[in-house]
Amino acid sequence: MKKPEGLKLIVDGRRLDGRRPDELRPLKVEAGVLKRADGSCYLEMGNNKIMAAVYGPRELHPRHLQDPNKAIIRYRYNMAPFSVEERKRPGPDRRSVEISKVSREALEPVIIRELYPRSTIDIFVEVLQADAGTRTACINAASVALVDAGIAMKGMVTAVAVGKADGVLVLDPMKEEDFYGEADMPFAFLIVNEKIKGITLLQMDGKLTSEEAKKALEMAKSAALEIYKHQRKAIMKKYTGED
Amino acid sequence: MTGILSRKLVLPGDFLSNNPKLAGQGTYVEQGKVYSKILGLLDRTESCIRVIPLKGKYLPSQGDTVIGIVKEVTSNGWLIDINSPYPAFLPLTEYPDVKPNKKINEIMDIGDIVITKVLNIDPKMRVTLTMKDKICRIIRSGRVVAINPARIPRVIGKKGSMIKLLKSELDIQIIVGQNGLIWLNGDRRRVSIGEEAIYKIEDEAHIEGLTDRITELIKKRKGELMNEETRGA
Amino acid sequence: MEREILSEIKKDYILSRLRDGERIDGRKFDEYREIQIKTGVIPRAEGSALVKIGNTQVLVGVKMQVGAPFPDTPDKGILITNAELVPLASPTFEPGPPNENAIELARVVDRGIRESEAIDLQKLCIEEGEKVWLVFVDIHVLDDDGNLMDTSALAAIAALLTTTVPAERFEIGENFNLPVQNVPIAVTSLIVDEKILVDPSRDELSVGENLVTITTDKDENIVAIQKSGGFILMEEKFYELIDISIRKGREIRKKLLDIVGVSL
Repeated sequence: MKKPEGLKLIVDGRRLDGRRPDELRPLKVEAGVLKRADGSCYLEMGNNKIMAAVYGPRELHPRHLQDPNKAIIRYRYNMAPFSVEERKRPGPDRRSVEISKVSREALEPVIIRELYPRSTIDIFVEVLQADAGTRTACINAASVALVDAGIAMKGMVTAVAVGKADGVLVLDPMKEEDFYGEADMPFAFLIVNEKIKGITLLQMDGKLTSEEAKKALEMAKSAALEIYKHQRKAIMKKYTGED
Repeated sequence: MTGILSRKLVLPGDFLSNNPKLAGQGTYVEQGKVYSKILGLLDRTESCIRVIPLKGKYLPSQGDTVIGIVKEVTSNGWLIDINSPYPAFLPLTEYPDVKPNKKINEIMDIGDIVITKVLNIDPKMRVTLTMKDKICRIIRSGRVVAINPARIPRVIGKKGSMIKLLKSELDIQIIVGQNGLIWLNGDRRRVSIGEEAIYKIEDEAHIEGLTDRITELIKKRKGELMNEETRGA
Repeated sequence: MEREILSEIKKDYILSRLRDGERIDGRKFDEYREIQIKTGVIPRAEGSALVKIGNTQVLVGVKMQVGAPFPDTPDKGILITNAELVPLASPTFEPGPPNENAIELARVVDRGIRESEAIDLQKLCIEEGEKVWLVFVDIHVLDDDGNLMDTSALAAIAALLTTTVPAERFEIGENFNLPVQNVPIAVTSLIVDEKILVDPSRDELSVGENLVTITTDKDENIVAIQKSGGFILMEEKFYELIDISIRKGREIRKKLLDIVGVSL
């Protein structure tokens, strides 16, 4: 989307919401919020409001979809009709289908699937209010929900996006930066022993030089370690009541 | 409930040790290092590091005692729901003393609750049950309590200490299913206290001082019972 | 059943050859299979291209229509990209609406065209707020022998480079060449055993669909990145992938422009 004349996304080193380029939006994470689900998480990142639930491992029907050696993972990203400015018709659109696919792929290699052959682990994530960066917020919530469900994983998955606004790389883009910016690059990482072990989600659309893409990765990595602390705290709080 | 943990809480990916030989339940080894693979309580001894799960579905294991509900009656046995991602089957041949002229659904019908043992799990994760063990029976009295299967070890306690406490203090029959279902049988009111105690164990399994709190609860409730009885007399 | 057994056997063979530093078809790790590009193959369409990379074949047809612009871009034409994985192309494709693979394919090809601004959509405005040109890019996969992404993306830009806007049919003036001002090229690699294999064949994909696509434009900017497949990508590979994709993108772009006889 071309910027309206005269709109500056960065003024005096500050973004439209007052953040510096390397600052995250406020984050709130709560684990185990739903009764019926095996694991759940409510998460707010900026004005994004996300609810994630995990059911599983559970029986998978029809039988022919089962994998004899490991669990099937299913991930459904869905936006509530009231979550966006213009009401969104209920049901999956092409964008949701793509997001569901890459999000599932971000979590699949981290879940120790061989422990649950012939079953399915279903991850449902609802965007209740959208404010740029929904897919990364959803993956963060899903990761906490999976841990809350007691599912075996190699580590946690933490996601964050890097954008480019007025030529500057910006962490965790907000709505205007997402809309009028020059690039959007979501990442998700596997975190083991409080360190980044590898990349599980990697996408980009926009225009970046090779150096910018590499720098964006560095920015995302440090931010992910920050976000991971929040995810960890949320789980600890559920079981100990302490922060 | 929240409070001081009896042990350290760990998350998937937390580093536990450089010695793969110590890796026990709830952990995984990668490049010579041991990490937690689940959310749970760390249990570290000299010979073993394991993580005790706080949650998770019941995954059947051969020899487990499980309590289930008959879902379907087939021509040669019963399909039993054992509260697991894996359905279980009790073949007619594994039912002791089948009277020749009895129809299958006259022996056990949909909705019956049974105590069984896991005989075998085949590579396709099909679970076969048996009732040829003295602990097994169809439940016709008492109450069945369902809790988070991950808390069952705490209900049993170290070397059976918790379950012994409940049985002796309440003088009731208790059979614990590994799949999270527990059968209590005996005097109605004492069974009720047992139920309450088990839910409390489920809720507070990871908090320090549980055994004391359970002992206290039982004493209190038994005291209330006696007061009722003396007043009633 | 039969397919699974063949797949398992192939997988072992491929992995053992890889350990010896070789690909089963003898290619270098950064070598593409033979690329063939033919344009104008569907005269009925406004533009078309048939691209073969090895045995993989994709036909892209471009159709254009006049329609209303989107309310928030009243002076711009509209690009719509769709992909059909038709059943004749592979034993694993089933009839029906696009599944997640078809959707992902279309969206990533679209991203390359859109983010590189290959088409100057403002030049496709007929009457601001009322009438603009709609450009339908339809990807029709004919034979899936691996790397549908690069084949489709190449066919799409080749078709667009040779598209004629059918103004006469709509009585809006004379026909003219679709104004194309950039050439996005997608480069897809398979990551296996810490190695990067460019342009994976279907056989090579039996070890796992662990892919990264990086699309670059004529100025060697990156305009799209897509990791596809449930695997963990190591950081160092990301850096390598960027460099490889820029280099191979440059080579393929030159080949395309030579064939199509266009210079930008």
